[in-house]
Amino acid sequence: MNDLTPFGRAALLAFAALLLAVPWIASGYVLSVSIICLYLAYMGQAWNLMLGFAGLLSIGHALFVGLGAYTSGYLFTKLGVPPAVGVVAAVAVAMAMGSIIGYLGFRFAIGGVYFALLTIAFSEFVRILLDHAKFLGGTEGMFLPVSQESRRGVDLVNLRGSTEMYYYVILALAAGAFLMCRALLNGRVGYYWRAIRDNPEAAEAVGVDIFRFRMYAVLLSSGMAGVAGVFYAFYYNNLFPEQVLGIERSIEVTLAPIVGGVGTLFGPIFGAFILTPMGELLTEAVEGFKQSGLIAKNVKTDGVKLMFWGLAVALIVLLKPKGLWPWVCERLRLVKPPGQRG
Amino acid sequence: MTSKKSAVTGKAIRRRSVLAGGAAVAAAVPLRFAAGQGKTLKIGLNVPRSGIQANFGQDSVRGVELALEVLAGKGYPKVEIVHVDNETKVDVGRAQAEKLIDQGCTMIIGCYDSGITSAVAQVCEQKSIPLVVNVAAAPQITDGRFKTVFRNFPTGPMIASDAFLLQKEVYEIAGKAPKSAVMLHANDTFGTSQKDASVRLIGNFGMPYKFEDVISYDPATRDLSAEVRKAKATNAELVWIITRLNDAIMIVQEMVKQRWVPMGIVSTGPGPYDDPFLKQLGKLSDDIINMVPWFDPNKAMSKAMIAAWSKKFPDRTLNTSVSHSFEATLIALDAYKRAGTSEPAKLIEALRKTNIADNVTVGPAITFDDKGQNTKTRNSAIQNRGGKLVSVAPKQAAVTKPIWPMRAWNARG
Repeated sequence: MNDLTPFGRAALLAFAALLLAVPWIASGYVLSVSIICLYLAYMGQAWNLMLGFAGLLSIGHALFVGLGAYTSGYLFTKLGVPPAVGVVAAVAVAMAMGSIIGYLGFRFAIGGVYFALLTIAFSEFVRILLDHAKFLGGTEGMFLPVSQESRRGVDLVNLRGSTEMYYYVILALAAGAFLMCRALLNGRVGYYWRAIRDNPEAAEAVGVDIFRFRMYAVLLSSGMAGVAGVFYAFYYNNLFPEQVLGIERSIEVTLAPIVGGVGTLFGPIFGAFILTPMGELLTEAVEGFKQSGLIAKNVKTDGVKLMFWGLAVALIVLLKPKGLWPWVCERLRLVKPPGQRG
Repeated sequence: MTSKKSAVTGKAIRRRSVLAGGAAVAAAVPLRFAAGQGKTLKIGLNVPRSGIQANFGQDSVRGVELALEVLAGKGYPKVEIVHVDNETKVDVGRAQAEKLIDQGCTMIIGCYDSGITSAVAQVCEQKSIPLVVNVAAAPQITDGRFKTVFRNFPTGPMIASDAFLLQKEVYEIAGKAPKSAVMLHANDTFGTSQKDASVRLIGNFGMPYKFEDVISYDPATRDLSAEVRKAKATNAELVWIITRLNDAIMIVQEMVKQRWVPMGIVSTGPGPYDDPFLKQLGKLSDDIINMVPWFDPNKAMSKAMIAAWSKKFPDRTLNTSVSHSFEATLIALDAYKRAGTSEPAKLIEALRKTNIADNVTVGPAITFDDKGQNTKTRNSAIQNRGGKLVSVAPKQAAVTKPIWPMRAWNARG
């Protein structure tokens, strides 16, 4: 907060107040879209922690989400373990997988694009494995039990309740992730990570244990994704390997940070709240144009949102390679200039 | 006041102007839609119009639009269809269901994919809105968890069981049954689940053959010569394929190249009944028997559907997505007609009492059990004949006898 200008502080408070008020003022649809935004904001932060802070590109983050989802889903459906407890196992499994990938990658000096390929390979491997894992439902899917009663009220232990409850859960996760990332980035670990990201050889030369601190980044990021998996499993109540671990899920996670600003604290959140609502608004606008006759009704406009996303990413990479958030910050003077910070 | 010169316009950009712009955009976004239950029923159509299953979703849309045209001439009430695209994603499908309900839809049709259907069913259950499933096979959708879901599509186990029953019927009519079989299946989600069900259930049906080998492959492969050679080496009389489109074409091309003419080819997946397959392979596509949820061409309603389809889409084949979306619309309109209102509770009540004899799919009149499943709906065996698909079993839905064994590749006129 000390880095923010008075206007920045007011904007942040207004944004926080708006987020808290969404279930009270918004329709079911806006609430659902907000949940998607917050989920992507949370996952964007987990992914950003690896690439943005530590310089490790992952294109297989759906792997950790899938492992968290299937672990907690299995424990709940087969052994009756509530997700409040199952989340510990989900995080442990996701982190274990993260440690295997990290160990292989860093011990054998697999860096850059090759490390990204390693994450994809593991993600695809686990997806195919889950396709054949009958005890987890295999290709026929895992369905979590859900009753009419469980959709009312608030049961945080079993993660059962109304849509509003899920909204506040994912809001808390996204806010918690932000605070954690902020604390990490401003602490010793954050400086080490940035040093490793910008020049690993130099960092190593001054005594930074780059293997250890890279492993920290992978473990933290995979653990965060594991928590997201628990949320995914209990919010949607069904898991199919292709739906949860498909490569497009991993790519989707990267879009918000790329648009918002890789390596920035607020970028992934900003990106998520730009991309998703803009995509929805565009779909609405196109439908509106069709209704009013501005676009002929027989013109196929399906998938316009995905085209917009592709275009947005391409434009941002070309015009604002650092993402939109740093530019918005500067334009609206939300953050104090470096020399005036406390 | 803080202001900065814009590089483009040279005018001052002020925070206030930015905030005003933001407010204008925010005002344009309807935070709360007017959820209403007007006189005309609004039905939300929640199918994949983009993403990996887009072509099936587009066919579903055609089926619904066709039904509206055909049923309007048969005394069914007018309704308004609100379209959304679930992008073949669970999260989007769920959000779009909320949107439909916010926009005043008091009934939803969808959602093609089992995972999406299950997520949408939860929203419908919460909001007490009926969901009429057009296509989705996971048995869990109608396992009693949901009270507002009605499905006229067979479950996965029903489809797998029917594949054996229909084969037995075909072999009985033809008087010749294979003594051995080999299965070639795509190793994707669909192919693996179909293979598992078939291998698991074969023992329950006293089939005249057993599987000599089950060969899986990547559906994205560019060459299936080794797999087909391996299958040929088993000397199996029956080739059972579970494919997508391109791999189905490749398998047949390889069989022709390797001069392998088994007793017959049966399919329990998409591909062999798709237009590109029929067009690309021409007479080589003939004689393959597909066992799929289909329509009964002998029923009066089917004849009306086929006539309207041929007029509207002369170059397209009427398929499962079309027929089952057509029938989902029929179910919705029938319930609306009997309920006499768009009130969801009354629509649910009417759906529970559904009894439609004048329908299109195979089986007796459409009825739902207490879990919302039509347990009496059946599949068909349809055979490729000269670029057309003809029903050959079950008996009541057949229009001709099957050609079995299949003809040699070079003996097809």
